[in-house]
Amino acid sequence: MKKYLIILLFGFQGLWAQVQFEARVSKNALALNERLRIDFTMNIDGDNFIQPNFEGFKIIAGPSQQVSQSWINGRSSFEKTYSYFLLPTQKGTIIIKQATIEYNGQIYKTNPIKISVTAAVEQPKDPNDTQVSADDTIYLVADISKTNPYINEPITVVYKLYFSYNIGITNWRELNKPKYNDFWSQNIDIKQLVAEEGMFKGEKYRYVVLRKTVLYPQKTGKLEIEPLSLDIDLQLPTNRRNIFGQVVLTQGNKRVSAGSKTISVKSLPEAGKPQNFSGAVGKFDFKVIPSKTNLKNGESLDLSVSVTGSGNMKLFTLPKPIVPNSLEMYDPVHTEKVNTSLAGMKGKIADSYAIIPQYKGNYPIKPMQFSYFDLGSGRYKTISSPEIMINVLEGPMANDTAVAEESASTKNKISTSEQFKFIKLKTALESIKKQDFFGSNGFYGLLLFPFLALPLLVLFKKKKAAIDGDVAGNKMKTNNRLAKKYLSEAKKQIGNKDSFYVALEKAMHNFLKAKLNIETSEMSKTNIQELLESRNANPKTVTDFINLTENCELARYALISSSTIQQDFDQAVLIISDLEKQIT
Amino acid sequence: MKNIVYLIVLITHVIFGQNGFEKGNALYQKGNYKQAITAYESVLAANQHSADLYFNLGNCYYKLNKVAPAIYNYEKALLLNPDDSEIENNLAFAQKLQIDEIKVLPKVGFSKLIHDFTSVLHYNTWAWISVGLSSLFLLFFIGYYFSQFTSHKRVFFIGMILILVLLFMATTTSIAAKKSYETEKPAVVFAEITEVKSEPQQSSSTAFMLHEGTKVFVLETLNNWKKIQLTDGTEGWIDSNAIKELK
Repeated sequence: MKKYLIILLFGFQGLWAQVQFEARVSKNALALNERLRIDFTMNIDGDNFIQPNFEGFKIIAGPSQQVSQSWINGRSSFEKTYSYFLLPTQKGTIIIKQATIEYNGQIYKTNPIKISVTAAVEQPKDPNDTQVSADDTIYLVADISKTNPYINEPITVVYKLYFSYNIGITNWRELNKPKYNDFWSQNIDIKQLVAEEGMFKGEKYRYVVLRKTVLYPQKTGKLEIEPLSLDIDLQLPTNRRNIFGQVVLTQGNKRVSAGSKTISVKSLPEAGKPQNFSGAVGKFDFKVIPSKTNLKNGESLDLSVSVTGSGNMKLFTLPKPIVPNSLEMYDPVHTEKVNTSLAGMKGKIADSYAIIPQYKGNYPIKPMQFSYFDLGSGRYKTISSPEIMINVLEGPMANDTAVAEESASTKNKISTSEQFKFIKLKTALESIKKQDFFGSNGFYGLLLFPFLALPLLVLFKKKKAAIDGDVAGNKMKTNNRLAKKYLSEAKKQIGNKDSFYVALEKAMHNFLKAKLNIETSEMSKTNIQELLESRNANPKTVTDFINLTENCELARYALISSSTIQQDFDQAVLIISDLEKQIT
Repeated sequence: MKNIVYLIVLITHVIFGQNGFEKGNALYQKGNYKQAITAYESVLAANQHSADLYFNLGNCYYKLNKVAPAIYNYEKALLLNPDDSEIENNLAFAQKLQIDEIKVLPKVGFSKLIHDFTSVLHYNTWAWISVGLSSLFLLFFIGYYFSQFTSHKRVFFIGMILILVLLFMATTTSIAAKKSYETEKPAVVFAEITEVKSEPQQSSSTAFMLHEGTKVFVLETLNNWKKIQLTDGTEGWIDSNAIKELK
């Protein structure tokens, strides 16, 4: 009996001394959105607990350590627990590996546990839980005034944050500032955020305008406005109330974003585009105003070129005045008084040019043109300034090279080149198509004639010398000349019988002398007849000739009518010409 | 008979031209510059001109603030009458109205010397001088050839050689003067504002801008383009419609 008792005692002892270390899970199968609790429990005060690595789970709480010791009916029991709350991160079968502990130099391990994770399940809603989700209570909206504007036509983007009545916003931060590439943008400052009421999605909402921006598209085509993202801290009501009966609020956080928007920008029409169009779009008035038009030398005037109106004021250039070079024009002073409102830029831009005249006189400043595209009518409009005449009353004249020097004398000096000269009153007109003398045939002829004349001159002189040397030829020539001379004299004296016959006779004698080369002494009728006939003269002509010479002598003393004289003269001419032909 | 008709036509032309000129003068004095221009231009239409006519036309345009035609007519007047101080005076007035201010690059050196010498007289005058010298040469030759005394012969011979040298100079000067007259083609910009391109193409880059009234010299012509040089030596291509040549 005693033996059994001992065995029993030992057995109890052994049972009592048994070390227990095990892992327990709240469930072996769970959905992806459910949590799992795992406890590692031991009945000893083990040390050096090493947790498994919980692959496939995320630790959302733990480890929490819990130790309990109790005495029940004199028996003590000890328990030490490590607890974790886990959330599965993946579906499928996951094994939680062993945890280890050390006790009295001995290492104890738990068994691995197999957990199957299924797809997420809809969690039953607590009908009493009135907690408001942040999801459908807050919206960020971008309002764009026009989605297909012309280039340089102002459009506005207004970001509004709508939120329902039962949530509160404590703070907001801009995560992504929108970038307006290819736009000229101007933010309109909002000094204080004011909550207003408005309808959104058929419900009443409160909203604040967070940001207003005026945009001027600078490029045609599809342009994207990048989104605005906000990180908002919220206060959400819960269904719990505090001891004063007030609703307990929980803090929440939400990111909202106004999605990106696309704007298609139209280009300005090409039809009717003025030459000097510099990109102004809107509605403008253009003025060119000189500060004065009558001034003295050394004074300056300001020429103000200004554009007032609304449109893309800062985005175009003003036309530059064109002035004569005797007006010295300096670089302009540019002033802008432009207010930007939601409707776009409005105001006045002006260039002020300082002009200093150099000389006395009247100088025109050319009319200037300013063109813009009128959005109202969809057409180009051009405004012209009138021509401005600048009268410089005093000063040096245009062609005085030296600057006018102040003369001490008070006398009125008259400068010769002081005034614009009057027209000329007399002129000698000539034909426009005047032939050039140089290069004309007349020029070459006159230029070369003297040189051509040189050899002729030399020849002439040579010939003269030769002729001078030839005595007989000369005599013949003289007689011939005399014959002609007397014949013409006879013709003249045709009314005067005496002198006519004298001349005729002389003519005929000289003719013979020239032809026959004889002297007056040798001149007898027979001699003449012989000589003439030996020279092949017609005997009849010869007789006629001799008769006529004899007649001449007789006729001087006889009574002869004027008709006979004429007849004789004609005959003489006939005979002479015949003999001329016949004599060889 | 035909000749007489021509003569009558010519004479009536001249009288008609004179009438137009005087009518223009009267209108100018009354201040009717526009009508004066039409009167003067009727003279030009009858193929008659003179430096005074162009001068008066220039005055009319100046009074009407038309820079380019004013300068054009003054320059034309100066071509016919190069050393008239009144024309130069009024041209200076007109040039003060023009917008571009372009320096006149002075010519230097030997070429300037030659240019100055040849431009003293018109090439036609030089031609007449050549002809005169040529006749004088003939006279000297006659003197040399026919004179009886050796001393006279010697004087005439030296004279002949001298005249020959002078004749050669006068003729070459005339040729040079005509050549420079023909190569120098001045023109005046008539377009209010025009671009001068670096190449004779519409798409080419703009070298510089010119305004009306600026005097340029045409160097070359290609289709619708003219290569021009400014008085300061800058060159470029300009649309031929933008300028009007003086010759």
